[in-house]
Amino acid sequence: MTLTDILDRDLIKIPLESTTKHALLEELVDVLVEKKRLRNRDELLDAVIARESLGSTGLGEGIAIPHAKTSAIESVSLVLGITPDPIEFDAQDGKGSQFFFLVIAPEREAGAYIEVLASIARATASPTFRRLLGCARSADEVMRLFLD
Amino acid sequence: MGEPFKSVLVYLDGTEDSVTAAMAAIALCQRLQASLTAIYVVNTKALQDLVKARIFLDIEEQEYRRDIEGDAQRYLNHVEKLGMQKGVAVTPVKASGTVHVEVKRYLQEHRMDLLVLGGISEIHSRRDELLSETDRMMRTASCPVLVVRNNDAIWDMFESLPDVQ
Repeated sequence: MTLTDILDRDLIKIPLESTTKHALLEELVDVLVEKKRLRNRDELLDAVIARESLGSTGLGEGIAIPHAKTSAIESVSLVLGITPDPIEFDAQDGKGSQFFFLVIAPEREAGAYIEVLASIARATASPTFRRLLGCARSADEVMRLFLD
Repeated sequence: MGEPFKSVLVYLDGTEDSVTAAMAAIALCQRLQASLTAIYVVNTKALQDLVKARIFLDIEEQEYRRDIEGDAQRYLNHVEKLGMQKGVAVTPVKASGTVHVEVKRYLQEHRMDLLVLGGISEIHSRRDELLSETDRMMRTASCPVLVVRNNDAIWDMFESLPDVQ
């Protein structure tokens, strides 16, 4: 499984409106809860925040990949969001983060979860790709970028 | 002319598609009197990459490695049991590393002559970094590859085979 297997235009939000780390995690989780009509929003958010408390998932170069596994979800899911400007996310390079990939997986799908995370890491390692992502102004443009 | 395939390798990855592929492989090996090996590769390369990219903390890497190794054993046991049910001995193999590399190596070292895979996804992207491990296996295998679609017909066919008492 790769990120393109689970990329869904309705789970892409551009622009994200939040300007703080906590609000941003809530906003990403809310996109997922609304689209998938999930009832356990707090459980999902708690799992993401618990992981974040171990160390920031802001990787640097504007990329952040908040992630968690929890029994509160049925399948590996991805929400992609972009803020208009970088926000403080405790990233490892000390700079702001702008591109957010929220990945939440059920406990029993560790293999697929790891493949998805690895494919995000590979795709976003390219400076050219990050530049193109930064130019995307809509969910459709992001979809085209990944699926081209 | 002898049977076309004498030694078959089926790849398991913890998905329902791969279990369906194993059912098809068991049925095929029963008919051809071929030997069947099931391989599960713990993707330690991806785990290491996630640590290197600082997406995973060391503690997460260890936790997920344990989870995947547990999954590997569970799925190998399950397929062994399915094989026994239909009178086909399944040799379980648990490997670790880069999935398509390990599968390719096993195919070559053991001179397997058919690889059975499930779950080739639709082509979403031509970008190399977005290819799945299953895609890579199909592209790099040194022998013929049988791709089994996950459909009810395979389950029905498997169920219709007589059980060994």
